[in-house]
Amino acid sequence: MNFDLSEEQQLLKDSVDRFVGDNYDLDTRQKLSKNEAGFSDTYWQTMAELGWLGVTVPEAHGGFGGNQADTMVLMEAFGKGLVLEPFFASAVLGTRAIVGGGSEELQSKLLPQLLTGTSRLSLAYAEEQSRFDLEDVVTRATPNDDGYTITGQKSMVQHGGSADYFVVSARTSGGQRDESGITLFLVDAKSDGVSVDAFPTVDGQQAAELRFDNVQVGRGDRLGEQDAGYGLLQDIAIDGILALSAEAVGAMEILYKDTVAYTQEREQFDHRLSDFQVLQHRMVEMFMEYEQCKSMLYRATLEVVQNGREAMRVVHALKYMVGKVGTFIGENAVQLHGGMGVTEELRIGHYFKRLLVIDAQFGNSDHHLACFAE
Amino acid sequence: MDVDLSPEDLAFQEDVRDFLASNAHDPKTDYGQWRMNWFELAKAKGGWDVPKWPVAFGGPGWTPTQHYIWEKETAVAQTPWDLPFGLSMLAPVLMNYGNEEQQQRFLPDIRARKVNWCQGYSEPNAGSDLANLKTKAELSQDGTYYTVTGTKIWTTLAHIADWIFCLTRTSDSGKKQEGITFLLIPMKQAGIEVKPIITLGGSHTVNMVHLTDVKVPVENRVGEEGKGWGYAKGLLAHERTGLAGISKSLVALDYLRLQAGSVKRGNATLLDDTAYKSKLAELEIDLLATEFTELRSLASAANGAEPGPESSILKLKGTEIQQRIQKLTVEAGGLYSAAWGKQPVGHSFAKGGMSGYLSSRAYTIYGGASEVQKDVVAKNVLGLKKAK
Repeated sequence: MNFDLSEEQQLLKDSVDRFVGDNYDLDTRQKLSKNEAGFSDTYWQTMAELGWLGVTVPEAHGGFGGNQADTMVLMEAFGKGLVLEPFFASAVLGTRAIVGGGSEELQSKLLPQLLTGTSRLSLAYAEEQSRFDLEDVVTRATPNDDGYTITGQKSMVQHGGSADYFVVSARTSGGQRDESGITLFLVDAKSDGVSVDAFPTVDGQQAAELRFDNVQVGRGDRLGEQDAGYGLLQDIAIDGILALSAEAVGAMEILYKDTVAYTQEREQFDHRLSDFQVLQHRMVEMFMEYEQCKSMLYRATLEVVQNGREAMRVVHALKYMVGKVGTFIGENAVQLHGGMGVTEELRIGHYFKRLLVIDAQFGNSDHHLACFAE
Repeated sequence: MDVDLSPEDLAFQEDVRDFLASNAHDPKTDYGQWRMNWFELAKAKGGWDVPKWPVAFGGPGWTPTQHYIWEKETAVAQTPWDLPFGLSMLAPVLMNYGNEEQQQRFLPDIRARKVNWCQGYSEPNAGSDLANLKTKAELSQDGTYYTVTGTKIWTTLAHIADWIFCLTRTSDSGKKQEGITFLLIPMKQAGIEVKPIITLGGSHTVNMVHLTDVKVPVENRVGEEGKGWGYAKGLLAHERTGLAGISKSLVALDYLRLQAGSVKRGNATLLDDTAYKSKLAELEIDLLATEFTELRSLASAANGAEPGPESSILKLKGTEIQQRIQKLTVEAGGLYSAAWGKQPVGHSFAKGGMSGYLSSRAYTIYGGASEVQKDVVAKNVLGLKKAK
């Protein structure tokens, strides 16, 4: 048994920690988030040059050929810096869709663009009525001579405004909430009939509402078999949950450590706040819950690496914990920072907001607890 | 023991309902005009514009039950916006400790909603430990004015206030609580600088206020020099009861149910979700109990007596309930709660929900952090020795 990082992972960790340490102080981050795209093109290029964008791209296509554990190393560090670049949207979710469902031809065409950062992907799966249910799909794809036409609406598409392509779930048969009958497609963002309405999210990131009005896609843009896209969508969601959870664990670490540091500086009633037992115990709980989340992250990641979709149950457990613990740690970090905790000035509020959004992505705590209990 | 409304109370309730219904704002008319007019009409009802003021100062002299009825009815009706700083925080201090000249000078303008006040208590190093405040007020040699220098923080609406009531330090000797003096200071003058503090919800409500060599005539001192702490303490208890917001939470819970009912999950709605339903139920149960805790507190505080330490219980429970309502609103919004910026996206309530939730995190911090409120209960109610 061994929980140490491999030599390669350690190198990856050192390099991403350095990147975050050198480039992601709060001021820089807040300025970047107000860019039109909401992130830095320069940093995006750096990520490409360091090989991170191809971390899960097979070696045959020029990637690193890594798995979810390698992504975890990157995402945990990104969580500590509240990194804004669309690594998660494109290099985790988008890449998983292409590697898992794209034809050899499509992979050969697209993966080099993803590796070099010249193209970006966004996953469009949620709809206005779907809440957290991946299978609740109304957007329709109708076969025709040239492939398919897609019509419908997609919600809260992360980084949808700066994406070059969308991975879109659409219904090719069955009823609104049937697992079968869903097909995934790659859609060029510049296609006729695609409209994109981009806006910021509460955590300083970007999202978009999309509309597809008779958008024509080719047969070769279909990812996987017709009507059998739900499994691939689940695979993408599993990788997404693991990556978001790693990011959350990184953010939690900053929150509990900042709180421990602040209470040792701040004096009230002629004592440092950290001298008060009630606050000490609260911080011990924050620390314990953080460590528990990290354990569950390792557990789920290792199980998925070994067993893929079979490991779904422990993935539910992980996302439940991340939502619950993220809220607990975030709320208490704010509370223990007092008035300062609710200002934009300190970084803890920004980490808290990111954790809140992570809870809502790919199903919140309640959703995954219910799935786990079933 | 009973909580039935007497025939007199029922008549009062009818009267209140009639008043609120017949004076609701007509959107076709000017809001500001309506607001001023509303307070005039309320005044004519016999002091309904200042429900908590004693009869001697023009208040209605209601029984605790009447106050309760008023809270309940105004929580669901449309009433003009109002600020507590002058009306509920400063006015009681002036009535109890101010001299007659000060009462005549300040109370009528507060009552007429003509002058906006803000509260200058907290400082960067005096938060929960308020008595640690350092803003210095030095009396001139001829004894006619104070020179005030220092920094106040978390000053709500300082940027629109005309006056600030301020706790200042006039002496460093003795206990921290001694040597604090209560001063009234006009905001619009050289030497006062207001800097906005932007909070997590992205809004500007609170400020930092720097005072530099501000001259304050002794006529603006309330009560005796060095006794300000005692005056402010009574006022804090008033503030805490006001922060519980039980009636408003009951209304907010109803609204939350409506919102959750509009969130579809296939053929069902979020109200059919087991976990969500349980959390709503727990919230309602807590609220039902807290409503009665408030009634008990009101009853014991009858006849104008100062609210006691039980006001801490209400603040603790009331604010926690408000936060839970906000959290459940965010959960109801699902992914849409993450949307920010100008345009509406998805469920109409989702975006406001996150902003409300983030703002609500301050409820357990301001007016005395929950940890400090619990110290107060431990010491004053349970009689426990101060723990470290």
